[in-house]
Amino acid sequence: MSNSEDHQLVARIVTDQDTAAFGELVRRHQSQVRNFLRKLTGDIALADDLSQDCFMHAWDKIQGFSGRGSFIGWLLKIAYTTFLQSKRKSKRYAEILDEVGHVAVAESRAYAVQADEVTDLDKLLAVLTEEERAIMVMSYACGLSHREISEATAMPVGSVKSVIFRGKEKIRTSFDIKDHQHG
Amino acid sequence: MTSKIINMAERIKDADDRLLESMFESAPIADDGFSVRVVKRVRRKLWLQRLALPVAAIVGGIFAIKPLADLVTVMANLSFSVTSLVPEELVTATAGLIPQAPFVVLGAMLLAACLLGLRAIED
Repeated sequence: MSNSEDHQLVARIVTDQDTAAFGELVRRHQSQVRNFLRKLTGDIALADDLSQDCFMHAWDKIQGFSGRGSFIGWLLKIAYTTFLQSKRKSKRYAEILDEVGHVAVAESRAYAVQADEVTDLDKLLAVLTEEERAIMVMSYACGLSHREISEATAMPVGSVKSVIFRGKEKIRTSFDIKDHQHG
Repeated sequence: MTSKIINMAERIKDADDRLLESMFESAPIADDGFSVRVVKRVRRKLWLQRLALPVAAIVGGIFAIKPLADLVTVMANLSFSVTSLVPEELVTATAGLIPQAPFVVLGAMLLAACLLGLRAIED
């Protein structure tokens, strides 16, 4: 997936509002965005809804893509913002339900997956905070550089590095990850 | 130069990094109509944006026609009372030339709405 091809598609969208070019961009990057959001939310249906919203936001903001970094880095920044906004909304919704005396059905979506489909990765992600999870996924699953993660999360590069270090330490202390090396 | 050194430093991965990468790795998700759904949503949004202005102009015109017509009538009466100072022959001659003002307003609004609609279709 070449970066220059992405940039050409973006140029077509910006100049002609070319929806076919945008469709091509979605096809190229949907897997990474959906994977990223699935790992963040632990909920396939919610992640796919958020992915659609993410691409809609990307369409609205595409004029703001400077072309300096990778397109996927820019896209994951939008995906992360969309995820945080959805978290805030569901938290507010839960608070309103609490205020009117209902049991908060829409509990604040802590990382939770179906008990019968818990994978090793789910166990790893469960020990991390939301921020650590997002940064670790961007780094290890999506292959973003520290600089790209810093731009996506609006954190200094140094903080990104320390979050990754902390995340690794947590995983190392919670699991004997060396076991996986030998199957 | 500095950024190159940083990139090189990032690429130096220890065994833990490689292990984590393999654990975070996941199979690509099949599109299964996802991109088609997104593009449909985008096209629908574009259409709504293009239709919003002509529809707003027509709805606004419908609501504004009565008060506008009244206003134009008042203005016309006022202007005729001012022109009473002008010789009567001249007033009667020009009054016949001015068509019904409310129809002019309505016609102008419909024309504007049609032009906007045509532009949207053209786009």
